[in-house]
Amino acid sequence: MKKIIEVKNLTKEYKGLKAVNDLSFEVYSGEILGLLGPNGSGKSTTINCLLSLLKFQTGSIQIFGMNMSPTAYEIKKQIGVVFQEVAVFQELTVVQNIDYFCGLYVRDEKIRSKYVEEAIQLVGLDDFKKFYPKQLSGGLLRRLNIACGIAHKPKLIFLDEPTVAVDPQSRNHILDGIKQLRKEGATIIYTTHYMEEVEILCDRVIILDKGKIIASGTIEELKQLAKIEEKVSVEIEQLGAEKLEEMKGFKNVDDVKYVDGILVITYQKGKNNLIHFIDYLKKENLQYNKIYSERPTLNDVFLELTGKELRD
Amino acid sequence: MFLHNFKCALKTLFKNKVLLFWTFAFPIILGTLFHMAFRDIENNEILDMIDIAIVENEEWKKNQILNQVFDELEGDLFSITYGSEEKAKSLLADQKISGYLILSDTLKVVVKENGIDQTVLKYVTEEILETEEIMKHIALENPMEEESFYQNLYFMIGRIQSENKVELVDISNQNLSYTMIEFYTLIAMTCLYGGMLGLYVINQNLANQSHNGKRIAISPTPKGKVIFSSALAGYIVQLVGIALLFLYTIFVLHVDYGNDILKVVFLTLIGCFAGLSMGIMIATLFKTSENTKTGIIVAVTMLCCFLSGMMGVTMKYIIDKNIPFLNLINPASMITDGFYALYYYDTFDRYYFDLVSLLLFSGLMILLSIRSLRRQKYDSI
Repeated sequence: MKKIIEVKNLTKEYKGLKAVNDLSFEVYSGEILGLLGPNGSGKSTTINCLLSLLKFQTGSIQIFGMNMSPTAYEIKKQIGVVFQEVAVFQELTVVQNIDYFCGLYVRDEKIRSKYVEEAIQLVGLDDFKKFYPKQLSGGLLRRLNIACGIAHKPKLIFLDEPTVAVDPQSRNHILDGIKQLRKEGATIIYTTHYMEEVEILCDRVIILDKGKIIASGTIEELKQLAKIEEKVSVEIEQLGAEKLEEMKGFKNVDDVKYVDGILVITYQKGKNNLIHFIDYLKKENLQYNKIYSERPTLNDVFLELTGKELRD
Repeated sequence: MFLHNFKCALKTLFKNKVLLFWTFAFPIILGTLFHMAFRDIENNEILDMIDIAIVENEEWKKNQILNQVFDELEGDLFSITYGSEEKAKSLLADQKISGYLILSDTLKVVVKENGIDQTVLKYVTEEILETEEIMKHIALENPMEEESFYQNLYFMIGRIQSENKVELVDISNQNLSYTMIEFYTLIAMTCLYGGMLGLYVINQNLANQSHNGKRIAISPTPKGKVIFSSALAGYIVQLVGIALLFLYTIFVLHVDYGNDILKVVFLTLIGCFAGLSMGIMIATLFKTSENTKTGIIVAVTMLCCFLSGMMGVTMKYIIDKNIPFLNLINPASMITDGFYALYYYDTFDRYYFDLVSLLLFSGLMILLSIRSLRRQKYDSI
């Protein structure tokens, strides 16, 4: 597959702190690459370095096979960015805002007007064309923010936490829009700390922590990094220490935790763990409410790799 | 791209209510307040001639010095009606005169109310009596020739005329008053408030100042083009604001800016540029919120205008006399002084000096900003 971005040994220091530490990765044509990490892990800094907004100490960045720089207008023409913060003019309407930002890339007014209309359709702002930003809800404002970043039909799109503080309806709209953009051929870099979004959208994921890549690969590849394969959770009342010790001795059990009436047993490997466990509960005559089994999530992977939750 | 950005900047500026208030409405409101506050003072100060009466009794007819002095002052400082005491009383009661003089043992001034006319009449009379006493005393001690006596008399009259009339003559001849200084400072203030427009457009265009700036910075439109077109839009909006102020003060408040309108316009254009460049400098040099920067511009502008005489003309004179250096670095003083020079001086040396000073000030502001304006990458944003 064709390389769209190639980053080698990127290091960005600010006030003695390494915000990005020796980062190297590639992004391939047509894929959605997720940059996953908790707040402060270096996701936005990495994007700002890629966009030549931030100075960096070492490393090289190539986009579309060319060196990226503030005056690399040929590269910039093909890039669209949706920043974490809403970047629109309060004095312009929805249409005027999209038209203005699109106009920084597209001169022809007829083409621009078509692009603006398509962007409005994509994010579902048809009914709000003449609204001013202050008249829009948080979710609609985020959609406008996205429309302003992608109206010029870029080949490479950076989406920096576009769904932060967004209502479920708008979030679904935004995620559908992103899928549509990929369908139209765009390559997307998507940063977030919502693992569910990454699982829905991304082909590949890079997990960042403290400016370093701690894991990368497809979602399945990452999940294989976790030493657990199954997690069984049970709502159960009054469980003595004796029973917990007994459970730790079960086949394939990695860990047993009992907190606030919820028992969680993690298994390293194996099949039919849930059935065996239910049999045990019946045999011991232990009353329970809910019982369910889960596959490990990216959060579990992150937890295992760093010892902390993604949203810490 | 230039035109596209220019049009958008114009739209955003003309729709920004806060900016429009400071650059359009506030100067007009302040001008109206000035007009209301100073109109009466100004009217009272313009003393074309004071109507008085003199009781033409025997004592008056005998007093050669007083006759001579008031003959000289008539038609110049006083409009005098001669007649009986009854006639004078009647004229005073009807408010046709400010007061009348009656000579018996001494010269008495009779007035009905207090005011500038009455004060002038009283002052002049006291001056005359005092000088008359001195002259009589000198004549007794050292008898003079008639010619010397009259020379002294005319000297006294000249002194009275000059002491009471120098400013008044200038007022009537050139329509200039100290309240004009207030309007000059108002124009200066409006020019400097243009800094807010400069601040706004720069803030919107620099990646380290605003989110919009980040979005613009990653676009393929060269930074110089974006900044120049936005600053030009800011300048145009500023000119519209100042044009409105001129039209309002000329046609509604009847302020006369003189005949050399081209020079007035030219000074204003440069003044606006100075204001805009000051705003650009504050926008680029201070890394703080837009509101704080706006506060800095308002504070700097008001201080500059205060020092150039906005809150009292005396301040301008104090600075002129004691710390003239301040005027060389105060753009409001340069603008005010430029207008002042257009009216007071026949040559334009001082006017041109002010223009050059303003251009140097603007150049310095741009130079201070240029490093930040040219910066393409940042340590942090």
